[in-house]
Amino acid sequence: MQLTFRIWRQEQAQAKGSFKDYKVGELTEDMSFLEALDHLNEILVLQDESVIAFEYDCREGICGQCGVFINGRAHGPHSNISTCQLHLRSFKDGDTIVVEPWRAKAFPIIKDLIVDRSAFDRIIENGAYISAKTGTAPEANAILIGKAIADRAMDAAACIGCGACVATCKNSSAALFTAAKINHLNSLPQGKLEAHQRVLDMTTQMEVEGFGHCSFTGACEVECPEGISITNIAEMNARLFKAQILG
Amino acid sequence: MKINPLFFRKNMMALTGLFLCLFLIVHLSANCLLLLPKETARGLYNAYSTWLRENPLIMIIAYALYLSIILHTIYALVITIRNKQAKPVKYAVNHTQENSRWASQNMGILGILVLIFIVIHLVNFWARVKLGIGEEVGYDAAGNKDIYEVTYTLFHNVYYVIFYTLLMIPLGLHLHHGLQSAFKTLGFYHKRGLILLAKVSLIYAIVVAVGFGIIPIVVYFQ
Repeated sequence: MQLTFRIWRQEQAQAKGSFKDYKVGELTEDMSFLEALDHLNEILVLQDESVIAFEYDCREGICGQCGVFINGRAHGPHSNISTCQLHLRSFKDGDTIVVEPWRAKAFPIIKDLIVDRSAFDRIIENGAYISAKTGTAPEANAILIGKAIADRAMDAAACIGCGACVATCKNSSAALFTAAKINHLNSLPQGKLEAHQRVLDMTTQMEVEGFGHCSFTGACEVECPEGISITNIAEMNARLFKAQILG
Repeated sequence: MKINPLFFRKNMMALTGLFLCLFLIVHLSANCLLLLPKETARGLYNAYSTWLRENPLIMIIAYALYLSIILHTIYALVITIRNKQAKPVKYAVNHTQENSRWASQNMGILGILVLIFIVIHLVNFWARVKLGIGEEVGYDAAGNKDIYEVTYTLFHNVYYVIFYTLLMIPLGLHLHHGLQSAFKTLGFYHKRGLILLAKVSLIYAIVVAVGFGIIPIVVYFQ
């Protein structure tokens, strides 16, 4: 099959970017979206042109490295998948696919489709851990946790930090990401010790990084590869009230 | 206690919004009197209006109401400015309709329409009755200010009937998203509760929009 990729090209952070069209042939429906970009880059190398910069790592949908805005959706036309899990069978022969980097003030473009997501790292640094020395792995059943709580913590912990929530949010809010990290730790006994300080510090950092407000449009939970529920944001709000009163 | 502006602003939006939602129920309940036959409605509506104006508790609530509208507007503005700063470059292609409701993406536009409605509505009634601006309001047989006549005259102007009815559509959409969003902002995260909340918000929005929307039409045909 043949596709036209309309890709955002930007040399570096300060440079002015623009869309460039690439007509690519010899593609198959089984190819993943990232393989199609690899294929295009091989052509560009042979033509002595600069290749398209895009991020990836595992290509199994679990690392959170890949992520671009494809045809008006974060991670492409399907809900709850990462970009690497998108295949060309989702497009029709002859389609034009518009590929843009995540757009947010807190995610400045590094080159082409790669953005700097270290704002997420700094939110993590502000409390998404426990400070107790835990030593070697303890006996698994030393701390008993009910299944309902364990399930909820794991659902939140599934966040891979890809940034699709920020990318798709009209306000570039990092509420879903921050909420997932907070609820993951705060619902478990190990995280309870520093629960209030964690909520206060991580939400403060979220504000400092320049993310917007949460409008509860619900777009984030639809685009999240892990399907993390927006209910997490409401839960974070409740935890913040509690922390502001008690913390 | 450290205040996080991102959350404080949204909490103010939620609290003022919920207060306005509560007000709309009371307002609509009273306005249902306008659906009664002309002279019955006139007597009851004018008596009720007089009672409202003379009740000191209502005076306090009225000021809370003015304050809520003003704060809701100001915070909406501040929030929108910050949100625009957070997303300075828009996508060339963005299919928001595939991941969210249109109303949730456009609360600002809907809010502006509702605000325009409120301003015109206040000029039509509040300014005439409370501030004495414009044509003087007469008295009915019972000696109460004849607010019904103000309503009756206004809703015999077809343009106002269309305006008052049509503008209930953006109000309904604004309320449908706003009511449930306010609860989530204030930290309501009970799973089954949220499913119920979504239904309640829909019913609330329909009742308010349809309720206020049909009154001008009914009065027009009286």
